Amino acid sequence: MALRTPSQTIGPFFHEALRWRDGGKVAFAEAGTRIVLTGRIVDGGGDPVGDALVESWQRSPKGGTPEGARGTVNPHGFGRVETAKDGTYRIETSMPGGDAPSIDLAIFARGLLKPLRTRVYLASEDKVRAEPAMKPLAGSPRLKTLGATASGASEYRWDVHLQGDGETVFFAF
Amino acid sequence: MNDMTTPLDPPYLYQGYRSTLLRSPKEPLVDLGPGAFDVPGPLVPRGLVRDTDNDLTVAGKSAPLGEKMILVGRLLDAEGRPIRDSLVEIWQANASGRYHHVGDNHDAPLDPNFHGIGRTFTDGEGRYRFVTVKPGCYPWGNHPFAWRPQHIHFSLLGNAPVQRLVTQMYFPGDPLLDIDPIYNSVPDALARKRMICKLVLEHGIENVALGYEFDIVLAGANSTPLGL
Repeated sequence: MALRTPSQTIGPFFHEALRWRDGGKVAFAEAGTRIVLTGRIVDGGGDPVGDALVESWQRSPKGGTPEGARGTVNPHGFGRVETAKDGTYRIETSMPGGDAPSIDLAIFARGLLKPLRTRVYLASEDKVRAEPAMKPLAGSPRLKTLGATASGASEYRWDVHLQGDGETVFFAF
Repeated sequence: MNDMTTPLDPPYLYQGYRSTLLRSPKEPLVDLGPGAFDVPGPLVPRGLVRDTDNDLTVAGKSAPLGEKMILVGRLLDAEGRPIRDSLVEIWQANASGRYHHVGDNHDAPLDPNFHGIGRTFTDGEGRYRFVTVKPGCYPWGNHPFAWRPQHIHFSLLGNAPVQRLVTQMYFPGDPLLDIDPIYNSVPDALARKRMICKLVLEHGIENVALGYEFDIVLAGANSTPLGL
């Protein structure tokens, strides 16, 4: 048994160190329906969080765990993007497989002493509510904070509220 | 594991660190059950790191200012097993306490020979090694006379989402540690000390560089180590 190293904030100066070429263009071994996930992260005062790092991890278009990274510079299935000054982020990826497709996200920022973990569903609220993993939230009105809104043919919009009205659901880990 | 059962990590809301006030969630975290994040994570291609990326002193035309140091350590899981072939990313201020970053307007000199950015993979025994200079401390406006202790930022991916860790490494004997809200946001004193590296002269290069050692322990023991 080894004792874990505690978490500390990512601070405001991580950008160049953690920037990956094409970090926001998520690749997979197999072809799939390309989509864009985009939105805005705001704080408890309604102000944009313009210095966050957002990482995504998801199933492949066929529903499996992405393995390897052949032919790409970055890991398959994994995205890493910075928010712009206006708090917006943008991840180009493929639609994950499964009945209620979802993308796991971790948010790091100045003022976050440990990451926030959340999940966005690209599916109807009924389907999300029926997900076994979402059982702890089945009766909660907050479940809808995890649903993205389709906007156009291939774009999904999903805002994250760190605190206060409409606060996004974050997970324990 | 959440806030209620383990005081290991800092809370989201920490009054002494002003930036947490509007960025910390107020609702309780939702527990998806044990192992929800102890699943295989991304496999990082070796091409992401060049051989020289672990030497932060070769970014410019000549050597950077500051105390040259060799930083070595091991990346371990909760069972004490090495985490092999895993990405380690670091960033830090230069010897004067200034980041090579457009957002840093601290009135200290930039060093054209130091960008403060490093990457490497752990080896087959979970070991990593960086060559760098000791970062300076700098003021940060959190409270009157607020200066951050000397530190190096670390980002670790591990093998699984549960192992993902971003932390900061501090230096032994730094008088600013006692009054730093970020360091002190970790509730347990012994856990705080696990963020402080050790001076180990033998890791250095005689007459050239000081040696420091910093082991990092990530969560998760079920995560099956995967190789590319």
